[in-house]
Amino acid sequence: MIPIDFEYHRPKAITDAIKIYQALTADNKDTVYYGGGTELISRSRLNEITPQAIIDLKNIPECNTFKREAGQIVIGSTVSLTAIADTPLFPLLSNVVRSIAFRTARNKITIGGNLAGDTFYREAILPLLLSDSKVVLAGGKGIRQVEIHEIVGKGMKLAKDEFIVQILINEKYTKYPYFNHKTTKQSKVNYPIVSLASIKVDDRIRIAFSGVCPFPFRLREIEDIMNNSAESPGERARKVIDLLPSAILNDMHASREYREFVLKQSLCKLLEHVERRVS
Amino acid sequence: MNSNNFSVVGKSVPRVDIADKASGRTKYTNDLSSPGMLHAKLHISDRAHAMIHSINLKKAWEVSGVRAIITGESFPFPVGPLLADRPPLALKKVRYFGEPIALVVADTEQQAKKAAMLIEVVYEDLPVVNSPSEALKSDTPLIHEDLGSYKVQVKGVYPVPNTNIANLTKIRKGNLEAGWKNSDVKIDSKVSFGPSDHAALETRSARAEIKPSGHVIVHTASQGPFYVRKLLSQFFHIKPGMITVHTPAVGGAFGGKGAVQLEFLAYLASRAVGGKLVNLQNSREEDLMASPVHIGLEARVKLGATQEGKLQAAEIEYLFDGGAYSDTGAGISKAAASDCTGPYSIENVYCDSYCMYTNHPYATSFRGFGHPELTFAIERAMDKLAEKLNMDPLELRLLNAIKPGDTTPTQVHLNASNIGDISACLLRMKEMLNWNPDTQIMKTEDGKIRAKGISCLWKTSSTPPNATAGAVLTFNTDGSVNLSCAAIEVGQGTKTVLAQILAEKMKMAMKDIHVKLEVNTHHDPHQWKTVASSTTYIAGRAVMAAADDAITQLKKIGAVALKCLPDDLEVGNSRVYVKDSPEYGVKITDLAVGYKYPDGNTVGGLVLGEGSYNVRHLTPLDPETGFGKPGPQWAVGVQAVEVEFNPEDFTYRVLKSATVLDAGKVINPQAAIGQMRGGMYMGLSWASRESFIFDGHGKILNPQLRTYDILRSSEIPEYLVDFVETPLVDGPYGARGMGEYGVIGMAGALGNALAKACGTDLYQLPLTHERIWGSMKGGGR
Repeated sequence: MIPIDFEYHRPKAITDAIKIYQALTADNKDTVYYGGGTELISRSRLNEITPQAIIDLKNIPECNTFKREAGQIVIGSTVSLTAIADTPLFPLLSNVVRSIAFRTARNKITIGGNLAGDTFYREAILPLLLSDSKVVLAGGKGIRQVEIHEIVGKGMKLAKDEFIVQILINEKYTKYPYFNHKTTKQSKVNYPIVSLASIKVDDRIRIAFSGVCPFPFRLREIEDIMNNSAESPGERARKVIDLLPSAILNDMHASREYREFVLKQSLCKLLEHVERRVS
Repeated sequence: MNSNNFSVVGKSVPRVDIADKASGRTKYTNDLSSPGMLHAKLHISDRAHAMIHSINLKKAWEVSGVRAIITGESFPFPVGPLLADRPPLALKKVRYFGEPIALVVADTEQQAKKAAMLIEVVYEDLPVVNSPSEALKSDTPLIHEDLGSYKVQVKGVYPVPNTNIANLTKIRKGNLEAGWKNSDVKIDSKVSFGPSDHAALETRSARAEIKPSGHVIVHTASQGPFYVRKLLSQFFHIKPGMITVHTPAVGGAFGGKGAVQLEFLAYLASRAVGGKLVNLQNSREEDLMASPVHIGLEARVKLGATQEGKLQAAEIEYLFDGGAYSDTGAGISKAAASDCTGPYSIENVYCDSYCMYTNHPYATSFRGFGHPELTFAIERAMDKLAEKLNMDPLELRLLNAIKPGDTTPTQVHLNASNIGDISACLLRMKEMLNWNPDTQIMKTEDGKIRAKGISCLWKTSSTPPNATAGAVLTFNTDGSVNLSCAAIEVGQGTKTVLAQILAEKMKMAMKDIHVKLEVNTHHDPHQWKTVASSTTYIAGRAVMAAADDAITQLKKIGAVALKCLPDDLEVGNSRVYVKDSPEYGVKITDLAVGYKYPDGNTVGGLVLGEGSYNVRHLTPLDPETGFGKPGPQWAVGVQAVEVEFNPEDFTYRVLKSATVLDAGKVINPQAAIGQMRGGMYMGLSWASRESFIFDGHGKILNPQLRTYDILRSSEIPEYLVDFVETPLVDGPYGARGMGEYGVIGMAGALGNALAKACGTDLYQLPLTHERIWGSMKGGGR
């Protein structure tokens, strides 16, 4: 039961969405774009968010695209995680999103919502960071294409009036060897304590993380360490810990110490997997 | 399982409620809408222990559609089933995070919720009592300053004024000093776990209306509609005859719907709006936090045994985490004292069992009523004793198994009927699990460790001495029977089992038995509650008595029709016939509404069968020694678990889970197996992952199912179930209870299996991977 009243809009075109947003905010209405609505429902029923207007992006054709075209995988922001999990155009992405929530929720959760929502794990971003994806954004500045790295910092750097239209992935990245590993507190269906995704591009390991810090990340310095095969997996894992971009999370899902243990284990597992594969 | 000479009892007949449930057509309390019905919503505390400085309702009243807002002042009197210690809405102070403070009644649920969220409460924080051991310390702040003035509602509850002790039960049996003297080996074992939840699929729901006549009508998802009536009558001074409580099907209860909470609030809400019908339904968060929970425990068990392994002494302390109010927590601590040793024969027993107040959500009955909790403590201790004695854990249990001729901790003499056969259960489990010293710990090829753990269990019902049930039978013109009985169908299959007992007794086919699923205190005969694994026994006996009554009446009218004496007749196959010449008979159809002669003259009225049953000879426990009889009989069983532990990352999987229960008599094998599987599932879920997580201020961090972890169906192990049948002489066809038993031994069995696999003591629940990692840091196997 959502106790608040809000305006609901469902535009059919990107330009309409932008216009509606501008009109609503000009009217001083707290307005949000949304895709699947799972977070909107679960947070507003707890009174954690109280938007006055919401704009549903699911009727915009560009947001529903999901295809391979001219060497690119194009994924619209309102494509559901179930659709991505069930259509392995990018097998690593399919694997990673399949571990998010449970199927009934994945039927609703969209990739755009997973990336731009408030829940900070954003696991779907890991394969996008690894594949240097591009993102099509729409908003007050019109429609623009940016590198995923430009909008990912310690959190998402999207302007409040912007929404994700599409994600563009160079098809070559879907063909590299990959690895992903998610550890939860106990049941498989839960937030990650540590979630890793990795691909090996031209003999170099790329790796991205979720669950370790309060934002997902991929760091060159960490990849340098991971690729130094002169050192044992254990030594490399230890060094990675020192390079993390913030303190390791310490919350009800796992203590900092246990997370660090799981992270080291996961990194060693990854290195064993990747290096065994090569040799 | 033997099925000798019975035509319905002992057969896996389909559940009577299956078609409607499988097709989603069963209606639960909140499924029924009524025009003009108002809606109530709670404002709950976001502090665990604080004085309420002020409550500002101004913004809440501004929401359109709001009809009434009530706070603790609206009914400033404490209520409670055993000890009246809880105001329905917090008064002057809050004692747990999630405690209801105010209630809004509005035209729609949305308006009520919006207004409830706009209520502003100013608190003055008090120090928070986070655990029962902390609560026991003399310098800990008091949670109930007025404990000495609270009214004890049920004999046998002993609160200690000016402490945080809601109830203390003492067991003094034999001579502990002599016991220690005779002991060659001693162990000292501790366990602990915090509160968790029932997490039934259907959240609690109640609605109430007060008719202009003064008649109070309540609809509620309850395990005890008559109990709701009793408490409403007691605390609001309404004559029981002026209260009608309806309960349709209940969507899972597990003890959590035996407590009366929302019913008080729904009544007060209705009273505040001139008696209009008001509905109150918990959200999932409210159901987890605001409504009563599954109790926590800190326990210390010291055992002494001879070199041969014969138990000589047990010294036990149970500190139950009853939370902010005693509810049935005070009964749970007593029940745990009664059965404190587990099913073992020990001459010298000393136990102090406390229900402690803390600033946690308050506890109520949870499937097993203190026994899953005490069993974890005892069974971990038994495994430690076996290790110290260098004895097989199963053999140690076999050597000490309690049996006829022994006495329980409260000194009840056991005989061949009132206790099941624990040794037979152990031997059957040994066979079923291929239990031998070589297979208890095994390494797999990929470096994992497989280990088995075992737990015995027992339980008596801890029913009040006047626990009763009744049954009424009416007949339809097709000769079929309607059974009316206030046993609540919570999914456990009780209505099916009662129908089977009736069919067997009347020698009728199941298709001719119609059981009313919903219960209405206005029409149905009184029943205490549907709890304590006692319904098959108490209501089953009532059904048999009602059947006897109907049979007597049928024979009486049959004797007129067949020109003989009633004693010459037999009832069976929907007929009344002459014993020695079964071909001479008359159909029940032709008797049940009177026997009609060809000329139209009719003899006899309607056949109306009635019967009831009351437990016998139970007594409160002596306050100094615990001497007394807490229940009519003890069902016993053995459970085991096989785990696969990964020593590299400290994760584990449960591969197998097994139960052997002495059921007395299995009335419905498939249903019984289902009950055991469901129990094992629940026990494993609790033992492995379920727990509230509190911060240092008593705030619950995981009040949602996305963070309150529950075992998923994809994670369940292979289940093995078998039964032993040692008849309970006065049970229906020998049956004992079984509803709770599948849960009781799971934490003990899982803890023992994992402790073996890890080679380290595991003393805390839930047994999460992180917890095992934490205990292995100090070095394990």
